[in-house]
Amino acid sequence: MSTDLVNDQALEAEVKAWLAEHWKPEALVTGEGFGRHPQQAFMTKVVEARWAVPTWPKAWWGRDLAPAQAKIIERAFAAVGAPGAGQDKSNLWANTAMAHATPAFKETIVPALLSGAVGMCLLYSEPGAGSDLAAVRTRADRRGDNYIINGQKVWTSGAAVADYGMLIARTDWDVPKHKGISFFFLPMKQTGIEVRPLRQVTNEAQFNEVFITDAIVSAENLLGPLNGGWGVLQTALAYERSVMGDAARGPRSGKDNPKGDGALIELAREAGRLNDPVIRQELAQVTAYKVLNRLNNARAKADMAQGTSSAIMSLGKLAMSRILHEEARLRTKLLGAASLLEGPDHPRAEDANFLSLNAYFTSIGGGTDQIQRNIIGERVLGLPKEPEIDREMPFRDVRSG
Amino acid sequence: MSGVSSDELMAFVESLHRLLKDHSSEVEVRRLSQTPEGFDPKTWQALSALGVTGLIIDQDHGGLGAGPVELERVMEAVGASLLCAPLLSSAVLAPALLQALGNPEAKARLLPGLADGSRIATVAVTGPLGGWVAEHVAVEAKHSDNTWHLNGQASFVTHAQVADTVLVVAKTSAGLAVFEIEAKAKGVNICALPTFDHTLRMAEMEFANAPARRIESQRPVWDAVQEALNLALIALAGEQAGGARHVLDMTVDYVKNRYQFGRAIGSFQAVKHMATDLLMESESCTSAARYAAEALAANQADAPQSISLAAFACADAFCQITATSIQMHGGIAFTWAHPAHLYLRRARADAQLFGPPDYHRERYVQQLGG
Repeated sequence: MSTDLVNDQALEAEVKAWLAEHWKPEALVTGEGFGRHPQQAFMTKVVEARWAVPTWPKAWWGRDLAPAQAKIIERAFAAVGAPGAGQDKSNLWANTAMAHATPAFKETIVPALLSGAVGMCLLYSEPGAGSDLAAVRTRADRRGDNYIINGQKVWTSGAAVADYGMLIARTDWDVPKHKGISFFFLPMKQTGIEVRPLRQVTNEAQFNEVFITDAIVSAENLLGPLNGGWGVLQTALAYERSVMGDAARGPRSGKDNPKGDGALIELAREAGRLNDPVIRQELAQVTAYKVLNRLNNARAKADMAQGTSSAIMSLGKLAMSRILHEEARLRTKLLGAASLLEGPDHPRAEDANFLSLNAYFTSIGGGTDQIQRNIIGERVLGLPKEPEIDREMPFRDVRSG
Repeated sequence: MSGVSSDELMAFVESLHRLLKDHSSEVEVRRLSQTPEGFDPKTWQALSALGVTGLIIDQDHGGLGAGPVELERVMEAVGASLLCAPLLSSAVLAPALLQALGNPEAKARLLPGLADGSRIATVAVTGPLGGWVAEHVAVEAKHSDNTWHLNGQASFVTHAQVADTVLVVAKTSAGLAVFEIEAKAKGVNICALPTFDHTLRMAEMEFANAPARRIESQRPVWDAVQEALNLALIALAGEQAGGARHVLDMTVDYVKNRYQFGRAIGSFQAVKHMATDLLMESESCTSAARYAAEALAANQADAPQSISLAAFACADAFCQITATSIQMHGGIAFTWAHPAHLYLRRARADAQLFGPPDYHRERYVQQLGG
């Protein structure tokens, strides 16, 4: 038996014994996602026992383990339903801070992020910087040991409860747009920050606008070099994309919806439209979009398990956009005049109409389908980029509107 | 070859790629497109020597005994190179039908010749209406004087004009049956059909009291036909996936190197977005074809619906990719000399060969419980 195998077995025994002693599975996990964790006491123990980020260095809450060994720990946690493991892959906030914060700031913020002690939000998008994120106009001006922040951010989930926001702001206006941006951990609980819920087309408010007026952030909270924020953002975005997955929402009426590949067929039957040959063709086609995306994802995972990187992974979000829009369109078509209605007495209409609007969540959010096509065309197919007229121009001179 | 490792399969496909590079160049494809036979006997021999003609034939009868997974991968290579050869007829449909019928005597007599390439066979199911449905069968068989005789018509029969043997599905007073007939037999008239895809060979067959040998089967004949058709659909999906990927690569390469307005046309978003959409179709096509093959190989419950899905998804993807490719190339691909139209012709043919996409979509809905 190889030493590696002996080590692996010892590790597995250790983590299982630890979980048996510390994990009380009665408490259900809810509300994960914006940094703060409902089971903070347990999470703190996970961090102290060095199960949270085992691939990190020993000096920084880790164990210097290889990814394959870290998997042993993740599996043991997953087997008993315990939270907190695998954060070296999944914790966007901690990974960003770990990679780019100053050692002093890391000492305090990283364990707090790993144990879920602080709430977090993202302060990236602005009314004038959506797809073109490098066009941010929120400013950070140095004053003594601090930076003073002024500007407006948008599409911020969790802003009202956040302790920190990961902020990109302009620190140099006389260089090209990518070169004058800095990245901060901005304390959110201060008078200069006003959070207003943003009502969206679905008549819900999952996001906020954040108005920032003379808010203060310590220079200690700068991540990466001054004016090097664009590089930090790329790390953060990569983690965000890898954990976002396809978290598209389903119907919200509360009425049972059929499940599985035959779901649309059942809806058609219920609506009395299953005998229409045109509808049947569309049922096949929309169902096919869903199944093909699933098969693509399975193939991508198999490719990656074999160590070959997969081009298919990047297609998932684009595929999901089409699925959501097409499914919503077909649901509406099945209902006909009934889709005119809304409210709890008309759950099928409610769902069709909600899904029609919420499909844009995926086709616009996290990069529009059009930006996504640029990215795939350039990174996967190797097509050249479009010339960017503002790329080398001082940001001060860039036209906006 | 059943139970081959993926490394062995990859090595086999690699050998096939090398063979096709030599034997199925664009020049060769164009040359063979103009011959009545539509294939080169030397290439057919080379394919046999490699084991492609006997790929799915069991080892006891001289084949490799491979399954749907291997067949699909092989056909991806075939599709990419636009190979001109009666593979679908003689290496897929005919042996698959013989194996599905399970008649030991017929298998022993016919399969070794199909495996070593010395005999070319095809299957005649479709009547003048062209559908792969029992109601479209337009040949009748009558038994008299201890012999069976065929009368009627079969049409859209792939590679019939180059076949030595034709397996004919015909109606008898007791339902459908399969008959073996030599192409040169008395009472058989084979008339080549002009095809839009010049790499395809297809014929109409007239039977006038033609004596034929009945292949007895232990199982309902239409079930056996469906089993053969399922394998043919997987082979076709593989061909479509391979062809689609090749055309996508060719097109992406072109838009990277074609300059207008001082820049590669692939840098224009209007062109780039078309390419990205085609990538999605190509990947989905490959996933559908490979999954259908895996599902059938493992005898999964979802195999029938997966085959239907592959049938329409791969047909549509190959058509869309080849059609859009011409648009993305611009004027150069409107010329006869450019290969883009050769693939479009193949894509349009493949989309009709074993039932059009709408037919398979309808079947898919039925298989999902609708």
